[in-house]
Parts: sequence; C-alpha cells; structure tokens
Amino acid sequence: MNKQITIPLTGRIDSTNAADAEQKILAQLEGVDAGASVTLDFEKLDYISSAGLRVILRLKKTWNDLTVENVSSDIYETLEMTGFTEMMTVRKAYRVVSVEGCEVIGEGFNGKVYRIDRDNVVKTYKNADALAEIMHEREVARLALILGVPTAISYDVVRVGDSYGSVFELLNAKSFSKLLAGEPDKYDFCVAEYVKMMKRIHAITVPEGKLPPIKERSLRRIERMKDTLPDGLGDKLLRMAREIPDSDRMVHGDYHTKNIVLAGDEVLLIDMDTLSVGHPIFELQHMYNAYVGYSEYDPEIVRQFQGYSPEIARRFWRDTLAGYLGAKDEKKINEVEEKVRCLSYAGLIEGIDRHSSGDREKDAATRALWESRLIELLKRTDSLTFDVTPEGESDPDALDVEATVPNLDSVVDFVNAHLDAADCPPKAKMQIDLAVEEIFVNIANYAYAPEIGRATVRVSVADDPLTVSITFIDRGVPYDPLKKSDPDVTLSAEEREIGGLGIFMTKKIMDDVIYEYKDGQNILTLSKRL
Amino acid sequence: MLQIKKTVQNKTAILSPAGRLDTLTAPEMEEAIREATATCAALILDLSELEYISSAGLRVLLAAQKALSVRGKMTVRRANETVSEIFEVTGFTDILNIEK
Repeated sequence: MNKQITIPLTGRIDSTNAADAEQKILAQLEGVDAGASVTLDFEKLDYISSAGLRVILRLKKTWNDLTVENVSSDIYETLEMTGFTEMMTVRKAYRVVSVEGCEVIGEGFNGKVYRIDRDNVVKTYKNADALAEIMHEREVARLALILGVPTAISYDVVRVGDSYGSVFELLNAKSFSKLLAGEPDKYDFCVAEYVKMMKRIHAITVPEGKLPPIKERSLRRIERMKDTLPDGLGDKLLRMAREIPDSDRMVHGDYHTKNIVLAGDEVLLIDMDTLSVGHPIFELQHMYNAYVGYSEYDPEIVRQFQGYSPEIARRFWRDTLAGYLGAKDEKKINEVEEKVRCLSYAGLIEGIDRHSSGDREKDAATRALWESRLIELLKRTDSLTFDVTPEGESDPDALDVEATVPNLDSVVDFVNAHLDAADCPPKAKMQIDLAVEEIFVNIANYAYAPEIGRATVRVSVADDPLTVSITFIDRGVPYDPLKKSDPDVTLSAEEREIGGLGIFMTKKIMDDVIYEYKDGQNILTLSKRL
Repeated sequence: MLQIKKTVQNKTAILSPAGRLDTLTAPEMEEAIREATATCAALILDLSELEYISSAGLRVLLAAQKALSVRGKMTVRRANETVSEIFEVTGFTDILNIEK
C-alpha cells in the first residue's frame, strides 16, 4: 500500500493567493513520494478560480494519484465544466444529517437506525470503514431488488457526525419485532409473511460470483472451534457440514424479525449486507440463534434484542420452521431442528470465544451449556442434510429464467410444449411463438439493462372456448408496452423506423394483451383463442 | 435454427433461408445478406422454406431493402401463408418488392 496523505484547503483560492496556497501545499507534501495517494479536502474551501485550478493541475503532474473530496455543489460544477472530474477522482460533499433527538427505530450490531422525518430513516454505522460498508450494502440491495427481493434501497449517503449514514425512504415502516411485541393479534400474519418471504428468497437463483457462499463462513467458524470438542466430535461436525450440498440459491444470512418490516401494506426485507448463497440450513442456523440459541442460558437476552418474550420467540421459531418445511409432523420438524442446532451451537461457541460479553463467569456458563447440548446432538446425528423444495420449482406451468436473449429458445420450447399438449394448430402456434419472442426479447433487452434479472413465463390453457394465456412477469423498470404508439405501417421503406414492430404485431396476433404493474412487477398477459 | 442456401445467377444473389428467422438467427441472415450484396447488386430472397419470421427478421429485411434501393434491387419471393400474413400486418407488402 502506498502512503495516503490528506491536505485540507480553506477559504478562497484565486489569482491573488494561488502562489501562496501552492507553497503551503508543497510544504506539506515535502518528501512525499510521487506514488503516494494525495487527497485534497475541499470541505472548508469556499471558492477556487482558474489560478487555483492550475495549482491542482501542477500537483497532479507530480502526484498522479490525486483525489479531491468533500466538494460543494458549486465547486463541483466548476470542476465538471473544466473537465477536472474526468482527470481525477472528485467526490462530492455529503449532505450533513443530524440525528439528535430523532427516534431510534432500530439498533443492530453495527449501528442505529433513526427516523429523520415522516418518510425517511437514516441508518448509521459505528465502524471506521462505514463508507465501504454502505457502498457494499447498496450494491447488494440493488442486486437483490433486481433478482426479485422486495427491499428498500438507500437513495442517498449522508454525513452523520464523524461517520456516514445511508438514507432510506420507509413510509410507516414497522419491523416484525415491533409487531410481535406490540400487536399480538398480528402474530399469525407475521408467521405467514415471514415464511412466504423466506421461501421467496430461497427460490432465487443468483448468478455466479455475485454473492459469497454462506457455507464457507460456517465452515471457517467450525474449523476454529472444532478442536475444543471431545472424542473427535469436532471433526465429525466439520465433515458433516462439508457434506451439505452447495447451492446457488439466495439466503439472507441474518433473517430475523428485526430485518423484515411492514411498510404500508408491503413487506420488505432490510439489512442486506449478509446476503449470500447456500443451502437453507445456514439460514436456519442463524434464525435459531436469533430466537432461541443466543438466549438459551439467559432468556432475557431475547427480550432486550427483539422486544418480545422468550416464549413468543420460541413459538415463532417453531411455527416458522414448520411453515417453511411445510410439515405438520412434529417428528420431521424436530429432526431438522436438531441438524440446524448443530451448526447454531458451533457458531455461538466460536463467537463467544472471540468476543467476550465482559461478564466472564456468565460467558463460561453460557458456553458450557451450548457445548453440552452440542455434544449430545453430535453423538446422535449422522448427517446435516435435508431436503427442501423451494417454491416456484413445483409449478409445471411456470418457467423462471434469467431474462437474456440466449434463453429465448428455452422459453419458446416451454410454451410450445404446452401448445402441443393443447393440440394447437400450427399456424396459431407460429403466431403465439412470435408474440412470445417479441415480449421476452423486450424484457431481456430493456427490463434490467445494464444488469441481468429474471423473468417468469406462465402458460395456462382454458376450455370453452379453447384459449391459451401466457403471462410474463419481471421485476425490472416499470414499463407498459401498450402505451407505446403503433408504428405507421403505411410509410415507405425510406421513412420507416426500425423498431416498435414487435409489440404492434403482438397486439395484432393475440386476442387480448393486458398489462399491469403490481407489487413491483411488470405483469403482461397475452391470450389467444384457438 | 436457420439454414441459408446461397446461389449466384447472372450477377444476382439468391438467398434461401430455411427455418426460423428470429432474434437469435437474425444476425446470421444479416451477415449472409451483407456478404451476398458485397459482390452482387441484385438480391433475391427465396422464402419458400422460411417457417417463421419475427420483428428481428423484419428489421434485417428492412435494412437490406433500404441499402439496396439506392444501389440495386431486392426481391422477395415465395413466402408461405404465415410469413405473408406478417408482411401484410406490418405493411411490409408495400415496402418490399414481392414477386407474385
């Protein structure tokens, strides 16, 4: 790593004092290697004229890795106009937000969430590397949204005191923790929505390399603690964990009731920084800890953390696990729970070995309890694997694919298989294929550009009169293709524009084309009577 | 799937695409037309074996028609009923030189 040096500039720099300012800067850079990263902090700079800009250009000649930060919007405009923004890294000043006296609506390990006004909240970060963390979380949340997770995306990064925060628009948002604590009649609603969201996330296939595998994280923790277990049980645990199949499905990684909120009538997932891919057992591992494992020695911990009683926490865990597994049979639920707990305790033990709570006696007692339970479980467990069928896979009439042009063939094949089954005449089949191509290619090219997202294609055939309906669902930018005006098909070749024909033909060929935007989804349904 | 047969007769290139001219195969057709018209100013598209055409295919035909109307001639012949209907609906019957 090269040396990093920051130099603050103040007041005005114009032709009267530019030479002077340059001397002062050079004095601070004396002996600093040309390969160093030099940052000029413009926070206290009110004005800079072209004479001042020339000073910066001269600095850039010696110190090529030059950054200008905390630039006010006025000065930013000057820098943009003069082309400076293309020559060097220029970072705008962040808006300053004060959270003094604001209601704290959430508190996590890394910071607090404050409501700054009726519609907006700011999430603050404790650690020094807050900016990198904010950027990471923004990126992950964006990816999640594109892949179909309803989540809140921060629209601004601001300065909060000495650190940074990200601002979200969250109208009347209430976490499930608050709902469970304050509105007992919402219990069933919370269980149902929580399970639904979990199944929804776990059904999402993530493009390779976009999210880290959660299994690695668990394996590392087991490796660090396994030798504290007797009789080779640690090695047994590690072997069983390694045998859990890899998966490219999404998991949240910290899925508990503080991270799922009801905003208006929409359920959103928040706190996306732990988003990963992997087998659902790793999701359940962290869930068990949030409701039960972490507070097994001292049940009051869960009340402090979630705001509701240990009884509610345990019941919520059992009910959501049963709902997720689709199992009514206690035996099946217990079987999975035992596998989950093996990983849960291993994680807890590794955690308490690294971070003491400050109360050594209590830590030791807590650890001993977890360890004894883990040992009991490991003695009678031979595999951590179990099967879950994520939602969306079981429906033979729906195809969920990455919306990319090369997938056109599989979409057309899928639709044709249904048309053949309905004895669709060849001509109608060609026409339906055409409409399917036009719509799918449109989604592939525009819905998520420049990113890649997913689309669902659902086919249904109704009798009397025999009608085929094909529904396309994507979570890309809202777009109503029916609003596009028809191309003028009477123009000559020279006057004709390329484009707009696809949707036009679709409308001509199909009997009905209906568009609707609902729950963040573009839903386009085409139907044709056969 | 699209297969394109090419023949040249009296400085006229004849392209006979067989199969589906869609988003995935349109670039192949475009390339075949570009190649054929590099040496021949007259182009005949024999569509008797073309089963399917989407807007991506129409775009290729329109671009070829525009290019050749200036420096040559493009003729389309023997399109089947489905393809002819698409030409009809989109007004391509008036744009293209369709041989009856």
